[in-house]
Formats: sequence, C-alpha cells, structure tokens
Amino acid sequence: MPNGASSSAAAIWAILRKECRSEWRTRYGLSAALLFAVTTLTAVSFAAGRMPDRTDVLAALLWIVLLFAALAALAHSFVREVEAHTLTLLRLLASPSSIALGKLIFNLLFLGVLELVTVPLFLVLMGAPPPNWGPFLLLLALGSAALAAAATLVAALIAQTRGRGALFAALALPLLLPVLAATVSGTRAQWSGGSVAPAAKLLISYTLAVMAVSLLLYDHLWEE
Amino acid sequence: MNGGTATLTARRLAIAVEARGLRHRFGPRVALEPQTFSFGEGGVVAATGPNGSGKSTLLRIVAGLLRPSGGESVVTLDGRAISAFDRRKVLGFSSPELSFYDEFTTSENLEFAARSALAALERVNLAERAGDRVGTLSSGLRQRLRLAFATLGDPPLLLLDEPGSHLDDDGHALVERVVREGAGRGLVLLATNDEREWRLAERRIQLRGRDLGHSA
Repeated sequence: MPNGASSSAAAIWAILRKECRSEWRTRYGLSAALLFAVTTLTAVSFAAGRMPDRTDVLAALLWIVLLFAALAALAHSFVREVEAHTLTLLRLLASPSSIALGKLIFNLLFLGVLELVTVPLFLVLMGAPPPNWGPFLLLLALGSAALAAAATLVAALIAQTRGRGALFAALALPLLLPVLAATVSGTRAQWSGGSVAPAAKLLISYTLAVMAVSLLLYDHLWEE
Repeated sequence: MNGGTATLTARRLAIAVEARGLRHRFGPRVALEPQTFSFGEGGVVAATGPNGSGKSTLLRIVAGLLRPSGGESVVTLDGRAISAFDRRKVLGFSSPELSFYDEFTTSENLEFAARSALAALERVNLAERAGDRVGTLSSGLRQRLRLAFATLGDPPLLLLDEPGSHLDDDGHALVERVVREGAGRGLVLLATNDEREWRLAERRIQLRGRDLGHSA
C-alpha cells in the first residue's frame, strides 16, 4: 500500500512539520504568548520592582507567567483544526495517537521558544539572583514536558465541545496544579541551595502518568 | 491511504465493500435508514437520494470516519478485512466537508499527505497553481484539490461525495476520468444526485430518507 504519512513515525514527523510551518506562516500562537509574557513581566516588574532576595515569590511568578502565557496557545492546538474544518483531513492521514504526539512535540518546542525569551527577560527585569543552571534548566525541561502533556490531552478532549474555551480552563488548571506546585518548589529550592530531586521525580511521574492515559485515550478521541 | 507513489496499478485490487443493516442516527434524527448491500467486483457504485437521505453519512461510515449507530460496514482488500481504524490506508476520500490549510499552498497541502503531490495536481489540471495558497483558490479549484487529494497514491477504494460540485464542464470531464481510473484500480463509491455522475456507475444504491432504503 502507499505510505506517505502512514507509518506512525512518518505521521508524527509530518504532523510536527505541518505545525511548525503553520505557526511560522501565521504566528498566531507564538505572537500571542510572547506578547502576554512580555506585558505581564513588564507590569509585574513595574508594580513590584526588583526583588533579588524574595526567591520564593520569584519562583511562583516565573511559573505563573509561563503557565498562563503558554495555556492560551496550547489550548488552540486542536481547536484550530476544528474551526478550520481540517480535522477530517488529519484523520484521513494519521491515527489520532500520531496526530496528538506530533502536536505534543510541537507544543514542547513552542514552550522551549517561549522560555528562551521569557526566562532571561524575567531574570533581568525582576533582578533575580543567578540560578543554579543545571537544576534550573532540568526543572524548565521537566515542567515544560508535564505542561505540554497535560495541555495537549485536555486540548484534544475539548476540541469538539461547545464552550471549549471555558472548558479548557476548568479542566486544565486543576490538572496542572501539581505541575505548578512541583516546579515552583523546585525552582525555589535551586535558588536556596536545596535539592530539586523531589520536584523532578514528581514531574517525571506526572508526565509518565499523563502520557500513559493519553495513549489509551487518543485513539478513541474523535469517534463520532 | 491518501499518500504514496503515483504508479498506476495494472491489476484491479480485490476490494469489497459490504453493509449489513447499516444505519445511523444523530441524536433523535435518523441520518441513514438501514442499508444492506455488497459490492465486491470493483467498478463504480453510486449512492443517490434526496438531501438528508444519508449519502454523505454512508460514505463517512465506509471511510471509518463515523461509527454507525447500528449494523456494520465491512471493507476487505484481497479477502482481508480492514478495520474502520485502518481504512484511511486503503482509500481516497473527497467530500465538500474536506478542508485544507489556507495558509499552505496547494502542493504543500498535498505534500503533507504524500510525496507525489505534483503528479496528483497534474491529474486534476492544477499543477499551474501548485504555488498558490489554498486560501486564494476559488470553490471550483478547491474541489479539484479535493479530487487530487483523494487520488494520491492510487487507492483501491475511492469514496467521492458530490465530486462534481462547483466544477465547470472541464471539471466534470475530469471527474469522469478520475472515476474511470479509480474503477480500473478497484471500487469507486459515489454519493451524488448529478445525472452526469451517477450515469458513470454500473450499480446504484437508492437512499430514500426515512421511508426506505434498498440496494438496486
């Protein structure tokens, strides 16, 4: 049989390329997320000023800005397909699992780009002390993986529902509370010289659990 | 599936489509009255009937895009049953509901599905517009793109829902060519009320909405 995007790896790669190309052409998601992150950071730095000795507040602020900047864009990863009526095209090309995994990898890349801009800006504007780079980058990577996995699952689940915007927030935010708690406590710990291992373990377990549930659910997602 | 090489298969593949008491409801509304038929010799079959009689629903169920409320549809290739989940790998599908990415060119949309994009565009006389974004195409050219998408990889089963919609006379000649080539490879199932199209079929399924539906 012809293949094209028929094998899983090829399909995931095709979806990922399509997502990157689409984002590059439209820049809807990245522009909105970066605009949100920069304006929020600017507003917070003006309102609260630099706080180099308040690493507990800095850790919380960093992840709240990242979470909310990313959420709006991640929520739309499937909604865009529904609103543009391209979901049928995708379903004819790849299995739901491949579609979701391609979008998950794209969301991870998206978060990476967002963090590349937001984190240095945050450290400068808020006057944060230099992070312990190894643990700090590990937490950013694990936190991004957990955030992307949960947001992709919820976005896939709510894509064809009515009132999906409100539903995404109602489902995603409670689901992401453990991620927020672990990343904030880990980020605080690396600034205060503590261990990030407990937070890292929690994030790894969380991501694996969400991925396992996702792989079970994805193939039944869009059965009409 | 809608992808892969553009080599015309010399041998007609033994593709068969069967419906056993196949029916569907959207909530309380009956979308497809029970259908029982079997087509195993290839060629062209047309599903005709008034608006709302379930032509598009029938094609979506056979394509594996819609799970029927009752009964079952069976697609076999060389005697091997293809699950609804895997049917996309053996069929080409065109429907007015099928949309492409406006921000991509015609060839980029097809390359997303396969590497034989240019050959497919040439088949529907759209090669000159390979670099144009889909968002700039007229409805007729979009329909040609749907036909190109359906024929990617020369699938043995071709499901065409209103293939001639928005097309001019040249477009209708194109539909005829696509249908005849598809019948040469396997089975073509058309959903149409256009006489130019259903006359291409050797057999018809007459859908009659809520009253009755039978194979003819």
